[in-house]
Amino acid sequence: MRRLALIAVLLVSLPSATAGQELRLPNKEGSAKFAIIGDSGEPSTGQRAVARQLDAWRGRFPFEFILMTGDNLYGPERPKDYETKFSIPYKALIDGGVKFYASLGNHDDAGQIQYKLFNMDGKKYYSFKPKAGVRFFAIDSNYVDDKQLEWLDKELAASGSDWKIVFFHHPLYSSGATHGSADLQRELLEPTFLKHGVNVAFTGHEHFYERLKPQKGVAYFIIGSSAKLRKGDLQKSPLTVYGNDSEYAFMLAEIVGDELYFQAINDKGVTLDAGSIRRAGTVDPNPNVTTQPVVPQAKPSPVQPGPAKTK
Amino acid sequence: MNVSRLFLIAAFTSACGDTGAAQRATPPPATPAEVAIKEGERKTSTDPAVNPNAAAMAEFKTRVDKYADLHKQLAKGAATQKETSDPAQINAAKTALAAKVQAARADAKQGDIFTPAIRPVFRRLLAPELKGEDGRDTKAVLKDDAPAPGTVPFKVNAKYPEDQPLPSVPANLLLTLPSLPAPLEYRVVGQHLLLLDTTADLIVDYILNAITT
Repeated sequence: MRRLALIAVLLVSLPSATAGQELRLPNKEGSAKFAIIGDSGEPSTGQRAVARQLDAWRGRFPFEFILMTGDNLYGPERPKDYETKFSIPYKALIDGGVKFYASLGNHDDAGQIQYKLFNMDGKKYYSFKPKAGVRFFAIDSNYVDDKQLEWLDKELAASGSDWKIVFFHHPLYSSGATHGSADLQRELLEPTFLKHGVNVAFTGHEHFYERLKPQKGVAYFIIGSSAKLRKGDLQKSPLTVYGNDSEYAFMLAEIVGDELYFQAINDKGVTLDAGSIRRAGTVDPNPNVTTQPVVPQAKPSPVQPGPAKTK
Repeated sequence: MNVSRLFLIAAFTSACGDTGAAQRATPPPATPAEVAIKEGERKTSTDPAVNPNAAAMAEFKTRVDKYADLHKQLAKGAATQKETSDPAQINAAKTALAAKVQAARADAKQGDIFTPAIRPVFRRLLAPELKGEDGRDTKAVLKDDAPAPGTVPFKVNAKYPEDQPLPSVPANLLLTLPSLPAPLEYRVVGQHLLLLDTTADLIVDYILNAITT
């Protein structure tokens, strides 16, 4: 009888043990599936836990590549540092065929562009198209000079009606106390984003997770807590939709048609935030007219995300 | 290049573009980036008709181009930078390249590229960017990403310390200075401007007190 009671207790407690651990993405065949990590190059317990979770979630959601929002290797970058800060913690993913696409942070040496596993093709800024209809642009936000701005303008213009997703280190919008919004980069990059209808920007630099209100039609996320945390640094502001500066985090994302679904997850595998962004408009093909996409509204997923644990 | 000013210029350009007939196709308005690039090109032009500092600017460009050519020449053999899965090869190529550059420029000294003639021009170009609201933002960025004080050696041919962050350069500063050929980049450390070979991680030249904070 006592054993039956114990089983009953276990059965009751099981659902709560997995609460928040369900996949909230459509997981459709043929869709673009990817993950995002940021400020990930610190060999910490948080980094290892995030790497384990990425691998575990991949069993349920077979993402093909991971975007890195910079600070891929903190401190010295000797051969053993590439191992202890990257290839060892992410070994299961690398062995599983997951590709990493890096952008450079202020702690990254330019030598990383030659590292094959970062897929930068020897360039500090580059673009790639993993699936029809979706193009990603890695920007070097440490050094936004005339050459890069001209490159970005041309690359975005050439991407036509694709989803345009940019990723880089310094957040153009942020509620962080330590860094805050990168105003100077924003004043030059944002008009170029708007001119060509960029849909989503993933950034890092701040050691927390923040989903911001879409700004002028562009959805902004900060994912900079994949190995480092700056607890108490997120000063929730009118820009913030959801934020978390107390747990290590990463994001899973999926593009299905005109929807981008996202799910931010902590190092215990618990969902912090989830929703979708609808891309309702595209850039007018008339080259003489500049239009902006309809403002994407992040909508909550049917299951409410966990409460924000920020101040 | 004060960014707020650029917005005004871009808005003005845009407004001017709208004065034609509604049916007539007008070119898209210039973005602040496009305006900034054009403005930067004018300020750093080597044409004496548009830039009173053209001669010093031309001399500077000749010197950085010469460095870039030397770098290209040296980045061969063991110093070839190529994509690899082996970080040891990345480091070995970098070390080999740095050694070759240091040997080829063993007599290099401060002022070889940032000559006495160009230094005041750079200071004049940078000064307006440190004023007003954008100036405050610029200073904040410089402080934000700064390496620890005293860690960067102000010495030609010295290695940039590998354990220190590479400070981001505010975009407004970059767009007001002459464009550089790869692998050279500007970096601001404290009040000083570095010319850095980002492939070999070497300090190529520097201007002390290039900015006032």
